[in-house]
Amino acid sequence: MLSYKFDWSVITSGQYHEWLISGLKVTIQLSISGILLSFLLGLIVAVMRMSHLKLFRWSACVFLEFTRNTPLLVQIFFWYFGSYKLLPTAVNEWLNNTGFEFAAALIALTIYTSAFIAEDIRSGVLSIPKEQMEAAQSSGFSYIRSMQYIILPQAVRITIPPLVNQFLNLAKNSSLAMTIGVMELTYQARQVESYTFKGFEAFTAATVVYLAISVIITFLVDQYNERVLQIHKGA
Amino acid sequence: MIQFTNVNKWFNTLHVLNNINLQVKQGEVIVVCGPSGSGKSTLIRTINQLEPINDGKLIVDGKDLSDKSTDINKLRAEIGFVFQQFNLYPHLSVISNITLAPIKLRGLSKKDAEEQAMQLLTRVGLAEKRDVYPSQLSGGQQQRVAITRGLAMKPRIMLFDEPTSALDPEMIGEVLAVMQDLAKSGMTMVVVTHEMGFAREVAHRVVFMDAGTVLEEAPPEEFFCNPQTDRAKQFLNQLLTPMHGATCN
Ligand SMILES: Nc1ncnc2c1ncn2[C@@H]1O[C@H](COP(=O)(O)OP(=O)(O)OP(=O)(O)O)[C@@H](O)[C@H]1O
Ligand SMILES: [Mg+2]
Repeated sequence: MLSYKFDWSVITSGQYHEWLISGLKVTIQLSISGILLSFLLGLIVAVMRMSHLKLFRWSACVFLEFTRNTPLLVQIFFWYFGSYKLLPTAVNEWLNNTGFEFAAALIALTIYTSAFIAEDIRSGVLSIPKEQMEAAQSSGFSYIRSMQYIILPQAVRITIPPLVNQFLNLAKNSSLAMTIGVMELTYQARQVESYTFKGFEAFTAATVVYLAISVIITFLVDQYNERVLQIHKGA
Repeated sequence: MIQFTNVNKWFNTLHVLNNINLQVKQGEVIVVCGPSGSGKSTLIRTINQLEPINDGKLIVDGKDLSDKSTDINKLRAEIGFVFQQFNLYPHLSVISNITLAPIKLRGLSKKDAEEQAMQLLTRVGLAEKRDVYPSQLSGGQQQRVAITRGLAMKPRIMLFDEPTSALDPEMIGEVLAVMQDLAKSGMTMVVVTHEMGFAREVAHRVVFMDAGTVLEEAPPEEFFCNPQTDRAKQFLNQLLTPMHGATCN
């Protein structure tokens, strides 16, 4: 053990460095698209969950139960192995050329995270005084439009701290995509390790990068939050 | 403009509106008063269907509210509603509070909507507050913005539910002045309020409610100087300052 020689040059330059960088790019792509899509889907599910239409409410509940109560890894495998069988050949071919692994991982991460986001947004909405909805509807806005312009913008602001958590989870969970061969950061660190046996260096680098991503997301949202809170302080 | 015919409403077993018959003509200003819990808010909220009625007929601006084919959102756009607690949108600036509905529902361009909003804001003396957020305004200012928000839709009817009850006394005047101005311009208004000075000066009729029924309905002079029921007399005695009483013969 003690004879292990640290060699940081493996990860700071050369081919393996490039592998790690390309992995980082994929991780960032996966995380950012996942965050945006899961936020959108989460909003939609939250609105459906609160709709007065039974069908919407009911389907949202089923969706939430299924996605929150099954392991993410299983969901990733489901979309990767399972959906492949269900799709038309043409779609599969197109997906194969554009990176089916990435798409499957993105879908799984999006759906999984959106369930938690939906519940966070819903509690945010429930904390908005009902008079806001009354004021919006009195102006002639339908239920959906009232949600869109008046309730959700306020609810999302309140929901920011738990949302940040979900975004961080998503960024970290994206490492599970390596199991279906998405060449993201963890996958590449593993590759570097098996080519060079410099596992410590490779995974230290990966760890630092995940940490940095978390810090950056938290910082960005904090900045945004600060500005919003500024507005609500006032008199 | 507004016609209640044998309207009834229950909250579970509580009979909040008991066989209401009431008519409001175009350009009329009606003041609704009565003891707490008598159903004033419920009555005014049925007019834009924030509270649906259970029984009877309610026609607003020619539309039957019980008729399934009535587009309630479209009708509500024609009716301004001013709340006791203002209920401005806290995440939007004053100007955005006012222009949101005209832009989204009336299809006005941002420029036109803001121009129109500024005219209204100037009228209520708040032009310089256009970019401020509601939390930075006093109660009286917030209520004037709320009235402006309603007016920006060019409504055919304005409803007020105790618009000055949440205000510090020194701010009541500024809000009443705006409402008075509006009444003079010929707006059809239904106002729930205990401001009897306002009722005297601008109301065409005063409606007195008690326990879910309309007990009295009369021009202000008649109602204040010559109330018919004991309940109304009792109510007025508790409410009126000697000054109000003094003007009766
Ligand atoms: N959503 C509701 N569910 C059940 N009961 C209600 C509801 N809203 C009002 N009530 C009851 O209906 C009655 C009439 O209420 P309403 O608010 O119309 O009275 P009000 O005349 O406006 O009183 P105040 O002067 O206190 O505002 C009250 O007894 C009240 O408790
Ligand atoms: Mg009331």
